[in-house]
Amino acid sequence: MFYELAQSLTSGLLIGSALAVLSVGFSMAWGITHVLNVAHCAFAVLAAYLGYWSLSLWGIDPLLALPAMLPLFFVLGVAMHRLLIRTTARRAHDLGLATMVLTFGLGVVMENGMQLAWTPDPRVLKTAYSSLAFSIGPLIVQAPHLVAFGLATATIGALYLFAERTFMGKAVRAVWQQPMGAALSGIDLDRVTTIAYGLAVATSAVGGVAMSLLYTFDPATHLSWLVYVFLVVILGGVGSILGSALAGLIIGLIIGVSSVFVPLAWNNLVLFGLLILLLLLRPQGLLQR
Amino acid sequence: MRRVVSGSFALPTSDAMIGIGLALACALVPLVTPSAYALSFLFTVFMYGALAGSWNIIGGYAGYLSFGHAAFFGLGAYTTALLLFYFGWSPFLTMPLAGAVAALFAALVGYPCLRLRGPYFSLVTLILGLAMYALVLNLPFTQGSTGLFLPFLKVDVYTSHVIFYEVMLALLVVVTAILRQITRTKMGVGLAAIREDEDAAGTLGVDATRLKLQAFMLSAFLTGLVGGVYSYYKSYLDPSFVFATSISITIVLMALFGGRLTWYGPLVGAMTLSVVNEVLTTQAPPQTARIVFGALLIGVIMFLPDGLMSIVQRHFRHS
Repeated sequence: MFYELAQSLTSGLLIGSALAVLSVGFSMAWGITHVLNVAHCAFAVLAAYLGYWSLSLWGIDPLLALPAMLPLFFVLGVAMHRLLIRTTARRAHDLGLATMVLTFGLGVVMENGMQLAWTPDPRVLKTAYSSLAFSIGPLIVQAPHLVAFGLATATIGALYLFAERTFMGKAVRAVWQQPMGAALSGIDLDRVTTIAYGLAVATSAVGGVAMSLLYTFDPATHLSWLVYVFLVVILGGVGSILGSALAGLIIGLIIGVSSVFVPLAWNNLVLFGLLILLLLLRPQGLLQR
Repeated sequence: MRRVVSGSFALPTSDAMIGIGLALACALVPLVTPSAYALSFLFTVFMYGALAGSWNIIGGYAGYLSFGHAAFFGLGAYTTALLLFYFGWSPFLTMPLAGAVAALFAALVGYPCLRLRGPYFSLVTLILGLAMYALVLNLPFTQGSTGLFLPFLKVDVYTSHVIFYEVMLALLVVVTAILRQITRTKMGVGLAAIREDEDAAGTLGVDATRLKLQAFMLSAFLTGLVGGVYSYYKSYLDPSFVFATSISITIVLMALFGGRLTWYGPLVGAMTLSVVNEVLTTQAPPQTARIVFGALLIGVIMFLPDGLMSIVQRHFRHS
């Protein structure tokens, strides 16, 4: 029993890192632009499919395809902000609600577009290292889990350094904290939010590839990934990079524990219940002051 | 406060007469013995009209966009189906119970959830819808994902189509009448005040907590009624359909499309989109139909945030 628990805690922690990188962009976009991008995970699933394609059509590992995907998804994010969100923002009475409906529509379009392109059948990614595993002491760690963890750590670390060390990153944080003040000190709000949006969607591609290493996926998967993202973001606090990282790990651990103690069919219910409680008791996030 | 009671001023005051006339005309349609296909299509139109109208009480008038109304629809469907399945009681009699169960559930979850505003409320209702589905699949007496097979009405198929057609039409009329009546009462004004500025409404003596809960329960009750008839109509209760997120989304889309600030907007939205949907699904793969649906949703929220009916209203104001 103890061994089983330690084992699932380990894999839960690694899964949690993938959840963190899947969520960090969503959290950033919500924090800075007050836009709930419900289509965030649809972008992630799209990245998973592109990785699947590059592997099955050309034999290129998704990890190697990722550097090519990042600029593409950055441009997609910029286009989404310029074409869809800004137009909506100009007319909407309530930006949060209007963009939620907008991105819901986008999610429906993307999900069904992917069904036409790749059929609704679930896909499994079979990479060269899929069946590799290492033993650390008595515990066994699967290679895909380690790869996902590496991807997540690198991406979140880079994003954190960007926000803390670069001028553009500081501008992004300034806009998040106090848009009016940022504008008064000469920051181009429009440019900064667009760039933040591009980055958010680009990180969803990393999240999608990381998740595709761990789970099977199909076009409708984005909704169940979205539940994880909501959990992580609400727990970690909207807009916080480190909060998302920490919350992702915690959720991973909870998933690990509940896979041992709770029957499989009830696992989702535990997560839903947790999310509802969290939303009701502390919608501003548990890890926020 | 804009458009507080817009519904009652936008069309000529004979709007009620037009509505009653239309309803009577619809009620007489079975006399000309239309095809079973036409009857079942109109049943779907009426059902979505009633659902979008019920949703509009909380989503449109109060501005609390629920993304989980499938939970009420499914609860209603299960209530009548289980009573029919185990005790043989007719859903036409147990329908009010279906509404009551949905309203009770709305009261339980509404009390904490309605404190959340904007996207947080939409989020929690979305998750509630998903949770209800997961719960029902795991209960011992619901037969899980197999669903429930129900007996047919003891008349021939065509007559039963006619009966269900008339029942759903009656429900639609009831929902629409309630929706219209609300805009002319203190409740309607209160809900509009909550929608425009909840804090200001509070300072003016609007009991927002009570009003929102009432609106939520009423909305759930009516949605539950419709769900209660639906499972009997299909004679098979499919849990993955009655609790589907796509139902919740379709309802929201229809109400937004037609215009959620008026009593006739959701009805117009449901009719337009049902026709669009029917044409698309017979002409193209279902995915294409849903892509067009999503694109319509994007278009409406970008260019007509107050719905199709805002064009009509503008026209009436200027003339």
